[in-house]
Amino acid sequence: MSLRTGPSHPALAKRHRYLPLFARIVLANLAVLGAACLVVFVALAPNRISELAADEVLVVTLCLVTLVNVVIVRRIVLPLQRLTALARGLDPAAPRERFPGAAAASEAGDLAQTFNEMLDRLERERAESARSVLAAHEAERMRVAQELHDEVGQTLTAVLLQLSRVQHRMAPHPAPELGEAQETVRASLEDVRRIASELRPETLADLGLASALESLSDTFSRRTEIDVHRHIEGDLPALTREAELAAYRIAQEALTNVARHARSASADLALTKNHSGVVRRVRDYGAGVRNGTHHAGNGIRGMRERAGAVGARLQIGAAPDGRGSEVRLELPAGSRA
Amino acid sequence: MKSSRTAQRAAVAHSRLAAPRRSRSVEAHGADHAPRSTRIEVLVVDDHPAVRWGLVQLLSEQPDLHVAAVATTAEIALAQAQHQHTDVAIVDYCLGGHNGLWVARKLKALERAPRVVIFSAYANDHLAASCAVAGADALISKSSLGDDVCHAIRSVWRGRRMIPRVHHATTGTLRDRLDNDRERMVFGMLLAGISDEQIARTLRLGARELAATRAEMLAKLEALPARPA
Repeated sequence: MSLRTGPSHPALAKRHRYLPLFARIVLANLAVLGAACLVVFVALAPNRISELAADEVLVVTLCLVTLVNVVIVRRIVLPLQRLTALARGLDPAAPRERFPGAAAASEAGDLAQTFNEMLDRLERERAESARSVLAAHEAERMRVAQELHDEVGQTLTAVLLQLSRVQHRMAPHPAPELGEAQETVRASLEDVRRIASELRPETLADLGLASALESLSDTFSRRTEIDVHRHIEGDLPALTREAELAAYRIAQEALTNVARHARSASADLALTKNHSGVVRRVRDYGAGVRNGTHHAGNGIRGMRERAGAVGARLQIGAAPDGRGSEVRLELPAGSRA
Repeated sequence: MKSSRTAQRAAVAHSRLAAPRRSRSVEAHGADHAPRSTRIEVLVVDDHPAVRWGLVQLLSEQPDLHVAAVATTAEIALAQAQHQHTDVAIVDYCLGGHNGLWVARKLKALERAPRVVIFSAYANDHLAASCAVAGADALISKSSLGDDVCHAIRSVWRGRRMIPRVHHATTGTLRDRLDNDRERMVFGMLLAGISDEQIARTLRLGARELAATRAEMLAKLEALPARPA
């Protein structure tokens, strides 16, 4: 059944770059048998052949056939076993893991190549769906931020103006509670502004990644009293809007994790160039990441999804010098994936 | 009882403010009797009814301030300023359509240009720099107290400039968006608070040329930075 539909399939229609295993085994066996026949009929001559010699030729031929088959089949089976082991150990969270030896001209090479192509498709598919989910998230955040600013913020401003009027009316003896009320309203206006700008990082849209990370770390330091040492290089290659947003959101998440889990008094935030794009690192000097446990968190899964959606490489682990942990993101310049 | 009365008053004020063409009747509740010459005529521009109402009420109660006109959009604000003598305009940054900086630039091009106070929830560095380029005289946050709003109006009327200092990193980022030396020079001078006349004299520019340069600079500063597609 499948044979009939087979030739129309593009992958099968493609000509083999190598002799198929079946043909190799048949041909090798034929060659050995032919050689044995030649030895028997030409070298030993049929009339001079003795019972003993016939047995010896038979045994030698059988041994040779077995040996040839073992060698050929092993060359196929060993890579297959390696492939199976690799497939079993494949980490779905780590992108860009591919089977080596996909170039080898053999069944195993073909299989490895097909496997790699499938991984490519899966990754592309995953990045695509992550991208659309993230875009929906961002749109929702924008909407909430806009509402906060347009409705809650404006109303609070109006309240503040009204309180000022009341204060004027009561002059020169305004109630002391009035001042407190004004301060409360101002504080909540500040909160609304902070929440809105966390939801919709307007600095990122207006001034780009470097400025947005600066203001992010400033706000973070003020709020958590954790010192953030910045190292932001000038003249960085341009990134897409999506990549900038991913870098920003992952930095935001990483800093939140520092505040929540690291018990660190300071953190580093670096944005530097490398050969292919931009590297953004956030590290702390705290408790560090226990190996194996960092897969669980929702935040970290979110970071991986964001990185995957823009074709970036994300590494989360212990800092190179062993103190604290590091979240390292490599973003390709200009391109999406 | 009291709340229903307040609501009623608010409704009356809203209906009045919703029709800016009739807003000259605002004079009715500017119930002070200060001589006209010493009163500061204020144009209020905000698209949010509650804020607009709050501002009008607040300013009306100041003996030295008088709400001359109210507008809800940039275009109406400009029309109001052309027909009505205005000393100071207090302009919300986020208006539907053209924003407050557009209003500032257009108002400053009028023959008797009013002082302009930009009133914004996002009084950040970027906006401060854009305000300086647009020619606004002050930038105040929407979390300012009423007294600070009145103070800002009085200060700019007396000729004070109240644009917050812009962080040098932001200045650098923004300067990179300008693509010629003249614009960069004008940018630096505007941020330093140097007057238009002096800039025009130093760079040997006509008033019209300077205005055109400002408009171009503003477009570049406000445009979102170019990123690969």
